[in-house]
Amino acid sequence: MSEWLNSAWLRAKALFKRRQLDRDLEDELRFHLALREEKLKAAGVNLEEARYASRRRFGNSFSLKEACREMWTFAWLEDLGQDMRYTFRAMRKNPGFTAVVVVTLAVGIGASTAVFSVVDPLLFRRLPYPKDDQLVSVGYLGPVDNNEFNVTSSYFDWRQQGPFKSLTAMRPGVGCDAMIGDSPRRINCYAVTANFLQTFGISPLLGRDFNHEDDRPHAPAVGLLSYGFWQRSFGGDAKALGKTLIVDDDPVQIIGVLPKSFEMPQLGEIDVMLPARLDASLPRSANSGSFLRTFARLPEGVSIEQARGRLLPIFNASADKDVPPELRKEVRLVVRSLRDRQIHEVKLSSWMLLGSVLALLLAACANIANLMLARAVARRQELAMRAALGAGRGRLMRQTLTESMIFGLLGGVAGSGTAWALLRLCVKLAPGGMLRLEHARIDFRVLLFALAGSLGAALLFGMAPALESPQAEALASWHVTGTARTLFRKALVSAQVAISLVLLAGASLLLRSLWKLQDQPLGFQPEHVITASFTMPRHRYQNAEARASFFDEIEERLKRIPGGGFFALSDSIPPRGSMGRPYSNLRIAGHPPVASDGGMVEFRWVTPSYFRALAIPILTGRAFEESERASGESPLILSAALARRLFGNESPLGQQIDLDVSGHWSTVVGVAADIKNNGLTDPPDPEYYRLRMHNSQEMGFSGVAIFRTALDSDTLTRWVRKELSAIEPSMPVAVEPLEQRVDRFRERPRFVAALVGLFAGLGLLMAAVGLYGVLSFLVARQTREIGVRMAIGARPVDIALQIQKYAGIWTGTGVIGGLAGSFALARTIRGLLFEVSPNDPVSLLVSATVLLVTAALAAWVPSSRAARVDPVIALRNE
Amino acid sequence: MGEKQSNPAGILRDTLDMLILKALKRRPLHGYAIAEFIEQTSEEVLRVEEGALYPALHRLELRGWLDSEWGISENNRRAKYYRLTAVGRKQLAEEAARWIRMATAIARVMETA
Repeated sequence: MSEWLNSAWLRAKALFKRRQLDRDLEDELRFHLALREEKLKAAGVNLEEARYASRRRFGNSFSLKEACREMWTFAWLEDLGQDMRYTFRAMRKNPGFTAVVVVTLAVGIGASTAVFSVVDPLLFRRLPYPKDDQLVSVGYLGPVDNNEFNVTSSYFDWRQQGPFKSLTAMRPGVGCDAMIGDSPRRINCYAVTANFLQTFGISPLLGRDFNHEDDRPHAPAVGLLSYGFWQRSFGGDAKALGKTLIVDDDPVQIIGVLPKSFEMPQLGEIDVMLPARLDASLPRSANSGSFLRTFARLPEGVSIEQARGRLLPIFNASADKDVPPELRKEVRLVVRSLRDRQIHEVKLSSWMLLGSVLALLLAACANIANLMLARAVARRQELAMRAALGAGRGRLMRQTLTESMIFGLLGGVAGSGTAWALLRLCVKLAPGGMLRLEHARIDFRVLLFALAGSLGAALLFGMAPALESPQAEALASWHVTGTARTLFRKALVSAQVAISLVLLAGASLLLRSLWKLQDQPLGFQPEHVITASFTMPRHRYQNAEARASFFDEIEERLKRIPGGGFFALSDSIPPRGSMGRPYSNLRIAGHPPVASDGGMVEFRWVTPSYFRALAIPILTGRAFEESERASGESPLILSAALARRLFGNESPLGQQIDLDVSGHWSTVVGVAADIKNNGLTDPPDPEYYRLRMHNSQEMGFSGVAIFRTALDSDTLTRWVRKELSAIEPSMPVAVEPLEQRVDRFRERPRFVAALVGLFAGLGLLMAAVGLYGVLSFLVARQTREIGVRMAIGARPVDIALQIQKYAGIWTGTGVIGGLAGSFALARTIRGLLFEVSPNDPVSLLVSATVLLVTAALAAWVPSSRAARVDPVIALRNE
Repeated sequence: MGEKQSNPAGILRDTLDMLILKALKRRPLHGYAIAEFIEQTSEEVLRVEEGALYPALHRLELRGWLDSEWGISENNRRAKYYRLTAVGRKQLAEEAARWIRMATAIARVMETA
């Protein structure tokens, strides 16, 4: 062992003194030769003879020097250097080939790594809680809200009797005002039960967690700061503990700081965490109106299904007590994993993106395999020559291995660069709805995986020629004709075409869907409309009168728009929904009760110019009037759909409706056109409009001011903010043109369509390159045959057509395969499409046509080259 | 013993190694002098081909049994001198002992009728 080390050390030293070593060997042998000469001369032989004789005895000095020299080198290192130099030389001689391989690798690796990095935090990466697979979101799911929710009374029941290891609750986030320095600032507060952090397995970074004492109804107020808020407002000073923060005019003692990596389970932004202080002693009717979100940790070994089954009877019991009877049939129990709750909206898009990019990677690998195989065949003669000169099989294999590795490395480096650039692009372009994008980073295990995949493909197909014994016949016949064993390569091309078709079909479906989304009528005109949303601080406006006068003051100030225009006030704005009430609540005077299965009805509180501001046509009757606002009347405007549903062909005008089972009757004065009020893709809900009264008790905490004006957005924003801060300085106001708001609903479909379109384009390019490569190769191989055929009498056009026919056959096979694939995958994409069938024949037809045309174009050059073969020259090359 | 027995080239190579080591036992020599020493001491029976000598010398040097140094020869030429290392000396003793044991054994067998 030490012998080997010693020799390795000596050889390593010799590495740097290569030339010195050669000179020494030269000298040593010449010295020996000279001495032998002298000996012979001394023995009486004449000079010339002595020299020849000694040389003869010496034998082949060259091979002797070689033998000695070799001992002093690391053979494999020298070979590697030789192989690398050879590879680089070959690359420089064939820049086109090198470029195509490296670019293909870069695209395949780069795109798949980037997309995987984006979807990994959504689909695969662990949530930042220990044993996150045990965490679930539980609650009632009903038409009231998109996500499951709970109420305090049920929460107490389920916590006591439920099958969970731990059940915890949080109130939905509210904006609260904190005194930072001297000025009030709106921050995000969440109120949670004492076991919240424990359930998620998180401990505070500093200080302590809440305990039962803190959560009692009248306990002194304590709070936990989020890491970000602590850094921003307290400079990350540990002495913040124990200080008091004024939140909503109440002093809150800071008892701890949350860890930096902490996330709220529904991914809301958090600044301060407060105890919820739920009061079990309150009567059930009070607690059943108090809205919560509940999460739980499952006990060991219990699945979600099992937990749901065990909870169901308890759910039924509390639902009977807490859910209003008219809604009881519409709510059901939901227990689902926390991850599911978080990514539900983006799950399908994420899988779609991942699927498309993997298809692209496959196409890239097929391309590389094809290219390597083509080159392998072309180099058969070269390898035969090298074998004839004395290279062993091992040596040849090592050379091809080195070559493949170098291609792989180059492609890998290019791929990493592409991935990084693509990721930056994605992050910049991605819509806000793509959660956790800030967590997307180049994941090295994925990079390694993609690299290994491409390298594997390159290796496998690059090594093919070295694996078969070099044949002497290959040396003799420079133009090996006929069966070049291209069936595999043809299959690869067809596979690429099939993948391309699936990608193209997917992209065109998404694009058509996007087009429909852009085009469809909204029911109102968002152009020239700017909206300003605001929410007043709860703690200062607990009194309903205070709220009413706040709205009045806002109206007074904001209706004087500089430059004129229409102003209206509402509590919500389309295309979003508004407040909802059960349809079955409606009672019509002098009519039988309405059907009880009707779902929800939306309503908005609006000022009279609402309809004019949004340009919603009034179909029958009239809009609200200013004079009605101080009267004791209750005018009502129905949407066309609701009017139809309630009254059929009867005129709704003048009818009296009790909206809330309250005994208070509203009179229908008009019918407005239907608008999109459930996002852009879902069918609209029936809706009615109520008039905002000057001294109404029913106003909520938030509102939207609507301006139809020619003023530009910036000027208006400044003016609105100025006016509103005069009334309530710390209240945040979000000003946005309505068109922008509406467009946000199209952001995600646009993003997904763009990316899939990009992949489809790249896939198409790769298929074209692959087809071109194989056809060129075949034409080159069959030059002699073509020459023969032309000499016998075939016309150039016939030859060209034959090549095109080949192209057509392979493409056709690929198209059929692709169509089959598209049908198979159609169902999975349905959730992403809007008013477009997944088997939409137009999209499929267009995609197939595009592919066939591209194939014909790709085959153009090889086929015209074949047509231009001069039979004389071709036949001469024996 | 086993592998060396079946490989005649190997036997000869090892024997040459041993002879070279012995040649260098007393003092450092250059390659030509080593060949001369072996030729003359064996009374011209054993003649070392250069093609075998130099590869052997380099091999022994790489193994660490010899050290080399460039010096000036008797006739004022630049020459590479080899000498035994401590490990080389030990190796020589072992090989010599083994060789004598084997030679004695063979002689005993051949002496029987």
